[in-house]
Amino acid sequence: MSTLASGLRVAHPHSIEEAIAARAQNPGSRFLGGGTDLIVNMRRQIDTPNALIDLSRVDEMAEIVAKGDILRIGAGVTIASLAGDASIAPYKAVVQAAEGIAGPGHRNMATVGGNLCQDTRCIYYNQSEWWRSANSFCLKHRGDTCHVAPQGQRCHAAYSGDLAPALLVFNPEIDIAAPKGCRRMPLADLFVEDGRAHLSLTEGELVVAVRLPAAPPPSAYAKVRVRGAIDFPLAGVAVALTSSGGKVGSLRIALTGTNSRPFLLADTDRFAGRAVDDKLLQEIDRLVQKQVQPMRTTTASSNYRRVAAAALARRLVAQLAGQGAA
Amino acid sequence: MHAPSPPPRKRLLRLKLNGRWREDAVAESDLLVDYLRDVAHLTGTKTGCDGGECGACTVLVDGKAVPSCITLAVRCEGCSVETIEGMATQGRLDRLQRAFHEKLGTQCGFCTPGMIMAAEALLRRNPNPSDEDIRAALAGNLCRCTGYVKIIESIKAAAEVTP
Amino acid sequence: MTSEPIVDAKLAQRRVPLIDGIDKVTGRARYTVDLDHADALVGRILRSPVSHGNIVRLDVSKARALEGVIAIVTGDDCPYTYGVLPVAMNEYPMARGRVRYRGEPIAAVAAIDADTAEQALALIEIEIEKLPAYYISEDARAPDAVLLHDNKPGNIEREVHHEFGDWQAALAQADLVREEKISCAEINHAQIEPHACLAEYDPLTERLLMQSVSQVTYYLHLMLSRCLAMDESRIRIIKPFVGGGFGARVEVLNFEIITALLARAAAGKVLMALTREETFLTHRARPQTDVTVKIGMKRGGKITACTCEVVQRGGAYAGYGIVTILYAGSLLQGLYDIPTLRYDGYRVYANLPPCGAMRGHGAVNTRHAFECLLDRMARELGLDPFEVRRANLLKPPLFTLNGLMVNSYGLPECLDKIEQASGWKERIGKMPPGKGLGMACSHYVSGAAKPIHWTGEPHAVVNVRLDFDGGITALTGAADIGQGSSTMVAIAVAETLGISLDRVRVVAADSAVTPKDNGAYSSRITYMVGNAAIDAAQKMKTILTEAAARKLEARPEDIEAIGEVFRVSGGGEQSSLPFHEVAKAALVDRGAITVSGTFTTPVEAQGGKHKGGAVGSTMGFSYGAQVVEVSVDDATGQVTVDKVWVALDCGHAINALAVEGQIEGSVWMGMGQAMSEETRYLDGLPAHASLLEYRVPTIVESPPIKVFIVESHDPNGPFGAKEASEGALASFAPALVNAIANAIGIDLDEIPVTPDRVMQALIDRRRQARLAQSVRAAS
Repeated sequence: MSTLASGLRVAHPHSIEEAIAARAQNPGSRFLGGGTDLIVNMRRQIDTPNALIDLSRVDEMAEIVAKGDILRIGAGVTIASLAGDASIAPYKAVVQAAEGIAGPGHRNMATVGGNLCQDTRCIYYNQSEWWRSANSFCLKHRGDTCHVAPQGQRCHAAYSGDLAPALLVFNPEIDIAAPKGCRRMPLADLFVEDGRAHLSLTEGELVVAVRLPAAPPPSAYAKVRVRGAIDFPLAGVAVALTSSGGKVGSLRIALTGTNSRPFLLADTDRFAGRAVDDKLLQEIDRLVQKQVQPMRTTTASSNYRRVAAAALARRLVAQLAGQGAA
Repeated sequence: MHAPSPPPRKRLLRLKLNGRWREDAVAESDLLVDYLRDVAHLTGTKTGCDGGECGACTVLVDGKAVPSCITLAVRCEGCSVETIEGMATQGRLDRLQRAFHEKLGTQCGFCTPGMIMAAEALLRRNPNPSDEDIRAALAGNLCRCTGYVKIIESIKAAAEVTP
Repeated sequence: MTSEPIVDAKLAQRRVPLIDGIDKVTGRARYTVDLDHADALVGRILRSPVSHGNIVRLDVSKARALEGVIAIVTGDDCPYTYGVLPVAMNEYPMARGRVRYRGEPIAAVAAIDADTAEQALALIEIEIEKLPAYYISEDARAPDAVLLHDNKPGNIEREVHHEFGDWQAALAQADLVREEKISCAEINHAQIEPHACLAEYDPLTERLLMQSVSQVTYYLHLMLSRCLAMDESRIRIIKPFVGGGFGARVEVLNFEIITALLARAAAGKVLMALTREETFLTHRARPQTDVTVKIGMKRGGKITACTCEVVQRGGAYAGYGIVTILYAGSLLQGLYDIPTLRYDGYRVYANLPPCGAMRGHGAVNTRHAFECLLDRMARELGLDPFEVRRANLLKPPLFTLNGLMVNSYGLPECLDKIEQASGWKERIGKMPPGKGLGMACSHYVSGAAKPIHWTGEPHAVVNVRLDFDGGITALTGAADIGQGSSTMVAIAVAETLGISLDRVRVVAADSAVTPKDNGAYSSRITYMVGNAAIDAAQKMKTILTEAAARKLEARPEDIEAIGEVFRVSGGGEQSSLPFHEVAKAALVDRGAITVSGTFTTPVEAQGGKHKGGAVGSTMGFSYGAQVVEVSVDDATGQVTVDKVWVALDCGHAINALAVEGQIEGSVWMGMGQAMSEETRYLDGLPAHASLLEYRVPTIVESPPIKVFIVESHDPNGPFGAKEASEGALASFAPALVNAIANAIGIDLDEIPVTPDRVMQALIDRRRQARLAQSVRAAS
């Protein structure tokens, strides 16, 4: 008995070039990273590729290489390898984010690229075919109404990846392979505030690596969820902070779980030179609450995700400032 | 009259299952758990959820604990796959099996194969795990009977036995 | 079994691994979906997409025409209702005319493979005319609400009104009267094994073999006979290994009957393996409950009166509803001395999957509300939570106001144990910010004293067999679902006969060979089946003793049996016989021996004479108390349980290892309900129908649980034993909520205490404080 739609084909390319070519040949195909997101969605028939391009044998995507002032993480590196790699240790937020993703079995399979590109989530979307059909489907898949905001025109499914915010605070770039050649862009530009089309990749494009600048600032990642494992973040926050003499140097805050994309909090530049005190923390709290847009895409209330995101941001900033002073 | 769709195309899958190489015809859409249960007839690996949520199907692929219900079988070409059936050898229980039995780390037993395989992966890389190490390694394996207390005790007891 | 002895079964230590444990740790235990089904058809169920409506058209002709479809059944194929209570069977295996919840079975297909079965479902055409649907009790009870069942006005399945003593006068005499309304979300058993069954119908002999995940194979037997209109003698039920139950499988479930109907229609074998989502839709778990409880209390903590109103949202069909709403009231008694009581219960219909029995059946949510209120009143009166409970202890033996028999009562010792172990006296009131301690008590029945199907038969029958091989075989209909009941039977027999546990084999739950049993519910097996097993073993022992006496030329009363040797007491080496020789001697002239042991509850144990008075009655209650230590993060609303100390009076621990396992598991299941588990419906569609959204706690947030076993030695229990697997559950949630109040000074009135609920309570408090401040500033 097969639990995936029969007739599925699977290709196993050994190079990025082969992978891109295989993908280009078949518009109905999809790249397969670890499968912890895609296979689950296929079992629910919310993703129905006719073929998968298995990337697990593309060795050139599975390396972490330090070159000059760049640490290049292959998109095929597993989350477990990432969390345990010595060269990642200085990027504390990334390690903390990686260690908290899903469960250990998932982390052994899931990849950096897959985690970054994972589908957005919603209680009206991540359901069985019977369920969604009984609910007339939804704007994200086969339907024409967003059940979260029926009056609106867009899909509000939430992005819930942990790695993206943790990486975003270091302003990395990503390498993208495509039939027309390779391109490079800031990671932040990968994401779009649209639950139905939250990635800016075009047909056939593949994220092949993340490029992190060397000498990272102190950083941290934290999230809220109901259980201590397995659950996706209701809100996740990464902070990178440089400070000296109790004053903020640079502060970057990135969020996940609250919007259809992970994003860097805008306007944190204004905190430069300020002391990390209650007043500053309160301003950060307000800034987060103002910029996040949680909707009713989870069973937890959207207001909770807003307030908790702000609380985490305050806590991490205070924590990092404290470490800096010590 | 409606005609059903044709049976899925199959290909040969060669892998080392519990220490023995074998080759089987599988559909490319087969998940590893389908292969283990329906092709290899190893029913010790369980399915408890609709995909990647409970850990009951945990097996080792090249020594790493993974949920077999979201792993494509054809991805395991050339791999070593280990299941609960490979743990007891020549009539002797493995140390984890013995500990789960004697310390009541198993009640209804349905999560047990996955639990033991996840614990085996842990002990191979960390022979003396702390309670926290055990919690971290089994974080993806749900048990509904034990409250996990005796599972932790079982793994600690097993760790004290030289394999 | 392996030839290697795994454990030295020293019964004196009473820590015995499960007799089927090796099968489980090796993966060779066969659960239902592991049974040979190579030649079986695949069953699939078509489920209602709407919450409430009339089926105006159901056309299966296209599906039937699909190549590879062997059988299709619909509501037309079964005009018989099924259910657990003879007076409340208002449900068909597949809807007839009307659907009442999203997910209700409408039709089913048996096909040569899963793909074909799925395609066939998609070809079934259905038209449903929608009716108004109700998802909360209040809406369903509204005067103008459409009735789910025409004979149930107000959409009430059952109202219960019980009064004992002059509660009004007693309230007037109290120094403090307080009332709280507390809500508990609906939860689910979420046993890790999804539902499944394998049915095989032989048209030549007209016999049906059903193998299923049942906790009560006897009910399954009855309902298959009823719904298939088959003679009971032509049906055989076998229970394979079962991956947990917790009440989910006490009732006969629709898919079991549907699969049998399919097997008969297909004249063959059908495997029905439900998905996790379908397993959630099948439901039959703990209902969403609103409890309004009022207590009158004297200054010293003595309770003078209690009134309690319980509203349970029961789902679309009766199920166990009447029993649940009765339990919710009757088990207010039996734990403390409550001199006057009024109880009003309402079991409400709603367009949701039917609720049923779940571990701690009926008692848990009422107990939660009661124990929370008790703590709040203690605080107001300046009393310690332990003291307020000690002020209300029972003095057994006694019968409670509502006629419940209490002979053994280990609660005082439970309180002492956890108070000491948790360092309560030294620590309470001195916890650091954000940390708190809370406690609560609970109890549960050791078997319902009166069975649902009153047949005049004993409550339990166990047969014990001896044949030429010298093996002792215990035959019981009791379903081992992982709780270790077969191991308990083996120990009871071995200990009574004075033989090694290895010599005992237990055959359980196969209707062709094992005596009927009322099944694994209400924690009845240890008490009832244990007593029956002892009775059977004693009869066997009499036969063996007589045989030994004949052989040793002594009087039976002078024979003693220890360690598999029968000897004349005071005699030497020559005056003893090993077990196998005694067995051979016993078989002379009569051949293989089978003896039957029974257990029957006396009438006085069967509860009060008032209507519904049998529910809650039992031979003995287990008693539990626990202390929970928590940390509350007031920035994120996240609650962490740091540690639990729990004591349970189980009468006597027949197997301390298994008792600990049951206590740990039940405390932890209480934690799941208290912290994270909750079903939620979006217009009747389950938002929770996966193990991602239905949040069974992981090992990460599950605390260490320190268990103390208290043995009060019940005069009628087997070796003095009572139940051990449900009693500790109900005290977790109130102990947690009380601990949170201790930590942050907020009384939470809803469980589970998810981070968003805790956060909302914190926000509300801040808002109130600001308001109070501005009022002060303005004045």
